[in-house]
Amino acid sequence: MMKVILEVKERHKPNLPIEAECITPKNFLDPEREFHVWKGNKELDITDIFHVRKDGTAKSAEQVEITIRGDSSHIKRVGEYMDGGKILIEGDIGMHCGNFMSAGLIEINGNADSWLGREMHGGKILCHGDAMDYAGSGYRGEKQGMRGGLIEIMGDAGDFAGETMAGGEIIIHGNAGDMPGVDIKDGRLTIMGDCSRPCGNMSGGECRIFGTAYDMLPTFRNEGLTAIDSVQITRFSGDYMSRGLGTIYVANCKYMD
Amino acid sequence: MKTLLIKNAFVIDPIQHISGETMDIAVRNGKIVDDVKNPDEVIDAQGMLTLPGGIDSHTHICGTKVNFGRYMSPEDMRAGRTSRKGDMHATAGYSVPTTYGNSYRYSRMGYTTLLEGAMAPMEARHTHEEFRYTPMQDCLANTLFDGNWFALQAIQDGDTKRLAGILAWYLSAAKGFGVKLTNPGGTEAWGFGKDVSCINDPIPNFDITPLEIIVKMIEANEMLNLPHSVHLHCNNLGKPGNYMCTLDTYDAIPDINDKRQSLYSTHVQFHSYGGSSWNDFCSKAEDIARSVNDKPHIVIDTGQVMFGKTTTMTADGPMEFNLYRLYHNKWSNHDIEMETGSGIIPVVYRKKNLVNAIMWAIGLELALLVDDPWRCILATDNPNGAPFVKYPEVMALLMSKEYRDKEFETLHKSTGRRVALPAIERELTWDEIAVMTRSAQARALGLIDYGKGYLSEGAEADIAIYPIDVDSTDPARDYERIINGFSTTEYTIKRGEVVCRRGTCTLEGNHSTYWVKPHVSPAYDMSKDAAFIDGFNRYYSIRRANYPVGEEYLGRNVCMETEASI
Ligand SMILES: [Zn+2]
Repeated sequence: MMKVILEVKERHKPNLPIEAECITPKNFLDPEREFHVWKGNKELDITDIFHVRKDGTAKSAEQVEITIRGDSSHIKRVGEYMDGGKILIEGDIGMHCGNFMSAGLIEINGNADSWLGREMHGGKILCHGDAMDYAGSGYRGEKQGMRGGLIEIMGDAGDFAGETMAGGEIIIHGNAGDMPGVDIKDGRLTIMGDCSRPCGNMSGGECRIFGTAYDMLPTFRNEGLTAIDSVQITRFSGDYMSRGLGTIYVANCKYMD
Repeated sequence: MKTLLIKNAFVIDPIQHISGETMDIAVRNGKIVDDVKNPDEVIDAQGMLTLPGGIDSHTHICGTKVNFGRYMSPEDMRAGRTSRKGDMHATAGYSVPTTYGNSYRYSRMGYTTLLEGAMAPMEARHTHEEFRYTPMQDCLANTLFDGNWFALQAIQDGDTKRLAGILAWYLSAAKGFGVKLTNPGGTEAWGFGKDVSCINDPIPNFDITPLEIIVKMIEANEMLNLPHSVHLHCNNLGKPGNYMCTLDTYDAIPDINDKRQSLYSTHVQFHSYGGSSWNDFCSKAEDIARSVNDKPHIVIDTGQVMFGKTTTMTADGPMEFNLYRLYHNKWSNHDIEMETGSGIIPVVYRKKNLVNAIMWAIGLELALLVDDPWRCILATDNPNGAPFVKYPEVMALLMSKEYRDKEFETLHKSTGRRVALPAIERELTWDEIAVMTRSAQARALGLIDYGKGYLSEGAEADIAIYPIDVDSTDPARDYERIINGFSTTEYTIKRGEVVCRRGTCTLEGNHSTYWVKPHVSPAYDMSKDAAFIDGFNRYYSIRRANYPVGEEYLGRNVCMETEASI
């Protein structure tokens, strides 16, 4: 087992974002590897930003566990292209955490900024706090968002959660913002709380809303009552703006006045 | 006053009828001169093919449409990333790169002048802002008039002089260079959900046809004495059987300029299709080439397709909608008020797709079947047919029958029955390739008078020195060397400064934007025309006084003033 502890140093301007896509378990397997991060257009050594401690050895990414400590709320792209192992973030994490990840676990004890698990293919992200906008979505202009794996958010999610989602699962235990699942093509999006305008232009996949869906879109057809885990719930098919091949289950729904 | 001497260069300069002579080229202050004493810098170009800087007379590199292509294709942005290095900025993108990406990659291929193929005048500011950050090339912008309501009204009224006055005002206001017509009338009809099938269809809301637009625009263009002719993207692009429309268009073109062509017909590959549907789709390049051969007043560029991923972008909105229905991929559709529209679709051209394979063959057939290389320009309508970085491969295909045959082997096996390419023996010469990549462009765009496209005294010192030893290279066999040699120059020189050395760009090239300012008599000065001002303020979302692009947007620029006959 290898344990890596990255502790964010006291920073003069803590709001300046740091791009740190080099932080993935696999990269720490190579003892010779240099780690560089970017602050704006300046390339810095990782030790300029973090105290780095490495204990033990590992033969594969699965045996590497990275802990990020301190104020990491503006550290971006952590775990990008991660393909195994574990990253534990003790506080908050910046944007684009877990971009394109295909395996392994990212656990965030605090909140996550936008684009959590963008276009991820596999693995699991567990966020104990809230996640900002575009969790599990595709980047702007991208046709497919999340394609596999699981994102579980214990708090609330911002707007556009699961936008262009094309596989995998997102579970939001709190509320979601506006337009979750817009352009969803496949996969399953579960919202335990409320949201508004879910799943516009849905062309496949499934969305389950156990709270209230406000401003429900009129282009979904009410298919009648059913039950999920003994909860009474209404099934809708749609979006008929597209081919109508998706399904939304909604506990309560309100149309726009 | 900086001086440079290039010694022992193996020069091909078709404008001056120099076909492979070893000579010295002297440069002072950005211009070619007779001789320099004690030059500041000496380059030994012994055994290296030396040409005037390359000119692309139809490419899409700057402006709102290109930028939206970037915006909607993050996957394209992720391809072709390079980080900052030395003087070079970071770049991103493959088929729609950032401006520096375009500029560096063109520069390493020896290109020093680029014409943006389609600028909506209302959105000209964006184009000019991006020109400023395309530092290794001079840039010019074709200006779109295909659906301009004032122009269409003047054509309907039969008032060609007024039409010329309108063109003059817009060209100066947008700081544009040439008159571009994209699917004339069709893009306008698309604003009402329609299209035109060819030159004789009526256009909604106006009592005119595409043919009238084309002919009147040519007449008006010549009244303004513009350097370039009308630049036409014909109606009915990309549809099986459209070659008849192209032939009918060519038959109707008047020959009214004795210095250059009267019509530049662009990306003709997309307009040379036979068949009645995609099932019997075939090449009609022979018919098109025959028509072009008969008409010395028409110049074409090929619009070559090469295999791989790219992005299509054009003002031809209805055509892009048809592509969308074919691919069901991402699609952007845009209307530009009183002027034109546009559409964007990412595409992949595949060797095993019969239609794509035929398209590839048609572009090559056109280049090989048009007899006069001065009237058949090499271009891919970047990025529509392929990103411009494919140009060296296109050159090698045209110079080597062996390479063509080898590539042909890998295509969909029915291709041979639909095209004439395998039977064509012609292999283009060094001189012909030089013509088709710079000299013909300089002549067709009217830039020879501005010192472009040749290497004699007084010319701009835009020079491309390739690591190709012509004497020891047989292009028919050594096509790999052709591709490598034309891909990366030994030196690219812009206005007398080395801007690119073996692919590494060193400094900015004192680039300029070229634009036209036709002087018309007060009667045709639209800035004082009550009907024009009233219509403008009534129908545009922008006030006429705020419309013109200020010179502060241009940076260094060359205003090409002309005396109009109106
Ligand atoms: Zn074009």
